[in-house]
Amino acid sequence: MADNNHQHLTKRERRELRREEKKQARLHEQKQEQRKRLRRRITLWFLMLLGVGGGIFGMVQLAKNPSSHQISPSTPIDSTAGWTKGNKDAKVTLIEYSDFQCPACRNSYAWVKRLTLEFNDKMQFVYRHFPLKQIHPNAELAARAAEAAGRQGKFWEMHDMLFENQSNWANRSDAGEIFIKYAQSLNLSVEQFKNDLNSREVREKVENDYQHSIQSGIDATPTFFLNGKKIQNPRSYEEFKNLIQQAIQSNS
Amino acid sequence: MKSLKTSSSRPFKVIPKSIVLAFLIVSVVGFLDATYLTAKHYLGEVPTCSILEGCEKVLTSSYATLGGVPVALPGAAYYLVIFLSLVAYLDTPRRSILRFVAYLTFLGFLASLGFVYLQLFVLKAICLYCMASAASSIILFGLGICVLKYR
Repeated sequence: MADNNHQHLTKRERRELRREEKKQARLHEQKQEQRKRLRRRITLWFLMLLGVGGGIFGMVQLAKNPSSHQISPSTPIDSTAGWTKGNKDAKVTLIEYSDFQCPACRNSYAWVKRLTLEFNDKMQFVYRHFPLKQIHPNAELAARAAEAAGRQGKFWEMHDMLFENQSNWANRSDAGEIFIKYAQSLNLSVEQFKNDLNSREVREKVENDYQHSIQSGIDATPTFFLNGKKIQNPRSYEEFKNLIQQAIQSNS
Repeated sequence: MKSLKTSSSRPFKVIPKSIVLAFLIVSVVGFLDATYLTAKHYLGEVPTCSILEGCEKVLTSSYATLGGVPVALPGAAYYLVIFLSLVAYLDTPRRSILRFVAYLTFLGFLASLGFVYLQLFVLKAICLYCMASAASSIILFGLGICVLKYR
């Protein structure tokens, strides 16, 4: 009887032991499953955050590249027409197709001004009108104002004034009045300025420049040509200066 | 077995994976677009002016920044929050996360409507990058409505 009992106990013990073992195995499996899930979660978040970081890096790199929607000119660039500054006999000519109402042109204006001062003897700078009338309602009028001032020998003074004060007239419906005030402050004959501003010659001059730009395949401002070759718009003054220096060295 | 159990205990319809995937893709597109515009702003490069595009007019307008911060920056943050919330949903599929994202898209939708209005009627110039962001926000809003429909 006692032996039977013992046998019964060991059987139960054995069953319990098996149950315990099964429980342990289940727990182990669960733990492994949990670990696996944790690993999967960490991988998911790691990959996603890596993707976000990579995305930001990629976009910053992309943004660093200069805009490249400009096309190369289809006709050779004439280096004589336009308003010139600097040494006319210089071996380096920088041509700009520009729009007085364009913020990027305002930006490059400051660099070009420094360049023309620094390389006054070694470089000639040519300014050509390319008023983007479709998107800048006052651009054509501003170009005419500069031309009208030019008829009284103050093209560059008006050119500087227009760029310096761009934000004051760019979106104004009374830009014409503002330009007359600029003419006054430049000591121009206001009557003549007004006449020239609306004269057929001045209108034609600006329109010719515009048409010439279109025919040359230029579609954006500012567009620069260094010795007849279109250059990518420099992103800093230093970059611009280096380009000019290189051109001067290779032509000396 | 498990899925049967969940479907019987929950009266909800299952949100199709395609909606979550579309949400993820569109939020990534919006995020990259807004990050690009933010980077452009902080790199200080003034976009060139082109005959057909009015991007520079939009990006240099007074509406492009709020107290010196380009509006693209909160835009990028918005898309990032949506994206990370979706990753969280993939991680632990709780419906409340998707509902949060769906409500959030209302905000993006309203902001985008405002920006599209400014471009079309005030600035009268269109910036393709800004329009791409607006399109992303509108699609996200549509997807948000789809999510809210699955109750």
